[in-house]
Amino acid sequence: MNCSNSEHLSAPGRVLLDRRQFLSNSATALGSIALTNLLGQDGLLAQSNAPAIDPAHPYAPRAPHFPGRAKNVIVIFCAGAVSQLETWDYKPELIKWDDKPLPGGPAVTFQGPAGNLARPQYEFRQRGKTGKWVSDMIPHLAELTDDIAFIHSLTSKSNTHGPAENFLSTGFNLDGFPSLGSWATYALGSENQNLPAYVAIPDPRGVPQNGANNWGPGFLPAAFQGTTMSSLNPIRHLSAGLAQDSDAAAKSLLQRMNARHLQKNPENGKLAARIASYELAARMQLSVPEISDLSTEPAHVLKAYGADDSTNKDKAAFAKNCILARRLVEKGVRFVQLFNGAYASGGKLNWDGHNALKEQYDIHANVLDQPAAALIRDLKERGLLQDTLVVWCTEFGRMPFFQKGAKGRDHNSDGFTCWLTGAGVKGGVSHGETDSFGAKAVKDVHPLYDFNATILHLLGLNHEKLTFEHNGVQRRLTSVEGNVIHEVLA
Amino acid sequence: MKARTRPLFLLACLGAGLARAEPVDFVRDIRPILEKRCYTCHGAEKQKGGLRLDVKAAALKGGDDHAPNIVPGDPKGSPLVRFVKGEQEDLVMPPKGERLPAAETALLSRWIEEGAKWPEGVDLAALEDKKEHWSLQPVTNPAPPTPKNTHWARRGLDSFILDRLEREGLSPSPEADRQAWLRRVSFDLTGLPPSPEEAEAFVKDQAPDAHERVVDGLLKSPRYGERWGQHWLDVVRYADTHGFEVNTERPNAWPYRDYVIRALNNDTPYDQFVRDQIAGDATGQETATGFLVTASVLLPGQIGKDDASKRLARQDAIDEIVVNASQTFLGLSVGCARCHDHKFDAISARDYYAMQSFFAGVEYQDRELQTPEALAAKKEAQTVSGKIADIDKQLSRFVPLASAGGKRSAVNAKVNTDRFTPVKAKRVRFSIQKTNNLEPCIDELEVFNTDGANVAAAFSGASVSASGQTIVADRHDLNYINDGRYGNSRSWMGNENGKGSVVVEFPTVQTIDRVVWGRDREGKFQDRLATGYQIETCESGEDWQLVADSSDRSTKTVKDAREEAFSREGLSPEERKQAGALVSQRLPLVARLAALNNAQKAFAGVFRKPDDIHLLYRGNPEQPKESVSPAVLSVLGDLKLPADIGEQERRVALARWVSDANNPLTARVMVNRVWQGHFGAGIVATPSDFGRMGLRPSHPELLDWLAREFVRSGWSIKSLHKQIVLSATYRQSSAHNGAAAAKDAESRLLWRFPPRRLEAESLRDSILAVSGALNLKMYGSGFNLFNQRGGLSGFNPVEKFTGDGLRRMIYAHKVRREPEAVFGAFDCPDAGLSTSRRSESTTPIQALNLLNSRFVLDQSEMFAARVKQEAGDDAARQIQRAYLLAFGRSPGPGEVSDALEVVSSHGAGALCRAILNSNEFVFLP
Repeated sequence: MNCSNSEHLSAPGRVLLDRRQFLSNSATALGSIALTNLLGQDGLLAQSNAPAIDPAHPYAPRAPHFPGRAKNVIVIFCAGAVSQLETWDYKPELIKWDDKPLPGGPAVTFQGPAGNLARPQYEFRQRGKTGKWVSDMIPHLAELTDDIAFIHSLTSKSNTHGPAENFLSTGFNLDGFPSLGSWATYALGSENQNLPAYVAIPDPRGVPQNGANNWGPGFLPAAFQGTTMSSLNPIRHLSAGLAQDSDAAAKSLLQRMNARHLQKNPENGKLAARIASYELAARMQLSVPEISDLSTEPAHVLKAYGADDSTNKDKAAFAKNCILARRLVEKGVRFVQLFNGAYASGGKLNWDGHNALKEQYDIHANVLDQPAAALIRDLKERGLLQDTLVVWCTEFGRMPFFQKGAKGRDHNSDGFTCWLTGAGVKGGVSHGETDSFGAKAVKDVHPLYDFNATILHLLGLNHEKLTFEHNGVQRRLTSVEGNVIHEVLA
Repeated sequence: MKARTRPLFLLACLGAGLARAEPVDFVRDIRPILEKRCYTCHGAEKQKGGLRLDVKAAALKGGDDHAPNIVPGDPKGSPLVRFVKGEQEDLVMPPKGERLPAAETALLSRWIEEGAKWPEGVDLAALEDKKEHWSLQPVTNPAPPTPKNTHWARRGLDSFILDRLEREGLSPSPEADRQAWLRRVSFDLTGLPPSPEEAEAFVKDQAPDAHERVVDGLLKSPRYGERWGQHWLDVVRYADTHGFEVNTERPNAWPYRDYVIRALNNDTPYDQFVRDQIAGDATGQETATGFLVTASVLLPGQIGKDDASKRLARQDAIDEIVVNASQTFLGLSVGCARCHDHKFDAISARDYYAMQSFFAGVEYQDRELQTPEALAAKKEAQTVSGKIADIDKQLSRFVPLASAGGKRSAVNAKVNTDRFTPVKAKRVRFSIQKTNNLEPCIDELEVFNTDGANVAAAFSGASVSASGQTIVADRHDLNYINDGRYGNSRSWMGNENGKGSVVVEFPTVQTIDRVVWGRDREGKFQDRLATGYQIETCESGEDWQLVADSSDRSTKTVKDAREEAFSREGLSPEERKQAGALVSQRLPLVARLAALNNAQKAFAGVFRKPDDIHLLYRGNPEQPKESVSPAVLSVLGDLKLPADIGEQERRVALARWVSDANNPLTARVMVNRVWQGHFGAGIVATPSDFGRMGLRPSHPELLDWLAREFVRSGWSIKSLHKQIVLSATYRQSSAHNGAAAAKDAESRLLWRFPPRRLEAESLRDSILAVSGALNLKMYGSGFNLFNQRGGLSGFNPVEKFTGDGLRRMIYAHKVRREPEAVFGAFDCPDAGLSTSRRSESTTPIQALNLLNSRFVLDQSEMFAARVKQEAGDDAARQIQRAYLLAFGRSPGPGEVSDALEVVSSHGAGALCRAILNSNEFVFLP
């Protein structure tokens, strides 16, 4: 939108303007220019390319930096660190070396002493036109490889779940930085004004590690925080549960009170914005229950996702979350985060397979596979995948050897796989490589910064230009790093 | 551009032979190449790798890693040449896009060979001397200016504001009416609205010192520290959990929060306030050093077992202290120099690590307090523990003996006692053959000797071993089974479904008669309970003897598995009576003991022998360079301490230096924070960044004048408040003025009082104040916002608040990163990072929360009930009272008729709900 009058502002100046834009309405747009001049003379302001946010419509759609390929994003976030070796990164050497020590391997890793190398716990076979090797653990997702761009050579800055999930979601190990979805909606707003711009859908088994930090706004305005809802839990405080006439009477009285107050305090953009937020809330009260009501979905759709699976309630609930994700992007919600896997639980509720990897992955894969694959197919059939980027990710990978005395693998942040499909993504690509045991990324190594930079790029955002001043530092999702991975772009 | 490229063109066409005849000229031949190929990343805008090539001094000095990049006379030895020629595969310049043609690299080589002659005075850019930055200069002593309008100013600061307005052709707004000023100043200083009686009294009070008396009263109110303490806690990112994935409760963090509130209420001089927080263990304010350890931190169990992970975690933990101290007190982003010299400010990586050295002995832990109160509590705790042990011993008489032929009560998850005939033992084995599900879990295994002492406790010297265990960070660990702490998060968990065993070994043979064990004595968990078990003892060798097992336990399902272990089943009426009496004596003692144990500790850091701090290459702990001893930022002073100086002396020295009146930043940064608290924006609008990337002050002279006054007043924060809120600047109306807004829309120059919304805490507190439900209990452990006080899994918000839940929000147990369910959406910081200035956003989620949450609905009803009680049954009088309570004014006739309609058909609750949602209620006038 009109960034023109803030083009010459500096980092902190941008914040100042940004805040001012939050509180000014269009009537004071002229004033903004004058302020810029006045303070500009004092060197109080310099260059800016911050999004111009209308306080009464924080979710109004805003133009990207350049035409993007994707309008919406669905992130499937698999918490607990999915083993690349049981899924997408086929290492036949491990079969040969099964139960032998890794030559020159570390004696101690994250959780303790290392054991012997262990073969992939599932059979692999070639799939699709490209002949991509994928394991039998995820037969439904495996059918989609021709549309997927795999990145096999990602690295993380931490091998501890908490900091690493922060790193994946926010680009920083520490708590308190804005999440990817907050950055995206801060920059772009949303296409639907009656729904939250950014929705986080927790796994039916529980929230991921670090909880709300994965969808937190950090130092960005609270408007860009992810709103949590799922097929099990609706948005909080959607209705008062009062008699309808009494509820309506209070709201209408409130409207009159606010109107009188605005009359006495004219030209106050903050007051006007707050009045507008109540109108938006009223529309949300109508559209959110509608979008959450899956009873309108035909039986064949529920079946395709596995939402009708009465034998597995976790799978059925995750499948419903997947349908909800589709319904949200269908309505133009900008960013949806779909969590698969909950908090630390010895691998019982998420992908943290330290001790009994195969036993636990049998369960988790069953929850993930059919619903997630159905979501991607459904998006494709409805033509939504053209505008929707689907991201599958996990915070790090796992070691090629078992832990001593256990049947599971320890944390490994030196080489793991995530993938992209949908809008702007080149299908059938496998980019980057780990070594022959899958221990370490060796070819086209990409820290997760690059992965995040690529997602922003697909949305038409330059990760170096999407910035916000906080405590003296011009912050970005990608810190001072990040290179777009062009090899996976269509 | 054309003219500049010509020599290259000639060179290419005519060959090197001809060009060699003439020496390379920097301006003509070299600068154009650098400009075209290098400046994008190594020029005025960016200096990747710390290299800048558009200024002679910087270019010849070189970057972070390969300096010098240009070695005069030695092109082969110059990294610059190597990189642009692509001789080093992993480092090619430019990294992207077109490579340099051979002609250009040849020219660069020749220029270097000829001595890299770079004439003086030709550079088009200049290095700004970072040391000359305004905030690093001594505080000046400006005389207040003399504006044209001589009638307006009331306080010294007003003349600075007015002078600037006059110079911009602006004039101040008229004074706000008395009711508006009172409401503003009450919210501002105490976070609460004035009562209708206070409002009425003040509006009537025409004495010249009426305003001053109001301000004195507000500053004297304990509510003041509760309000301004929150501003401080925002900056230091205070929370009651450890953060990161496990987000464990930090149960003894609150003494620091209480220190802050008390210090502000006492008007502790700010220099003292600073010293307390850095070195309170030396100033008699032990809990104040909670400041050092407010950050998120990984607990030992969350850190990898490999050494590199441990080193990184330690570095991260010390880094947080440096970041906190430097941005809070000095307004400098010193943390940026962790990986390289600060890009914008005069702070080197060496400065950063020298700063780390001051804190190198600080550990994130609870500290046993040495205050007289804490020592007394400790002593009393010993007595109380003794009494409890004594009662337990007496109670044990009523526990039926195991394996004595009778039937014993079923096992339960909370606690079980197995009593047997006294036996001599060196070891006790507890083996489990069956659980109600999953791997077994025991929170504490206690073995009592016939004197009633728990000889299995780690502190008694007992050791433990087990058949196996599942370690979960800060939750399950074998060592937790005898650590004296109860609950699931301090328990042992086996590694096999339905079985496992634990052996306790005492230092000497003991005569024992009781084993007490439980799954979770906090009563939250009932799973993983040992339902089939054996207890064996062994005096020497492997001669094990069975003393108790589950075979004589009842198998009937316990209705509530959490029920207290002590069962009165099978006792005679007389025995029941005696046992009952003992149980009721025991209960208050247990509660007292918990309180006493908490009174001895504060999460205020443990101080130990400092680590040896090294300069780390690119901040990487695996690449240490030379060791660095404590020293203050070199641009600000030359205080340097010997490497072997004691831990406390380091912090004391730093505290003195920061709080020295001559430090150019300390007073400026604080007066600016206070100013921001009053006006919404500081004189410097980036309150934690007074560096070169921060904004310049809107009123530099005023900032210095205030800083001087502040120091002169004995660093009195309350005097500063008083200056500000009694000023003409502060008394202005907040009304819009089109002409002024056209020049300064945000009112940065203060042509009016800038309007703003109440913060989350003020909003919640004020709703409670108006409804009459506010609980003014101060200090101590915080009340719950969620169903749990820390931990991994989803936090379910408390919906209905009563009792302590109606205290001011600063007394909430703050779970890091978990926004409070109703007010969190009002830009309430989550304590992940420091919040030096809150944003003020407006969202539909805020509207839904305030309209529909149980909290607001409950308080609307409370408010309505209060109004009815105070005004009687007449609807019009109720409306009048509601307006007075919430807005401090009477309603107009139109407002009354609007409200009457609603009150008569839906009751006063509907009116109160509308009022609590209204703009008038949530905005500062």
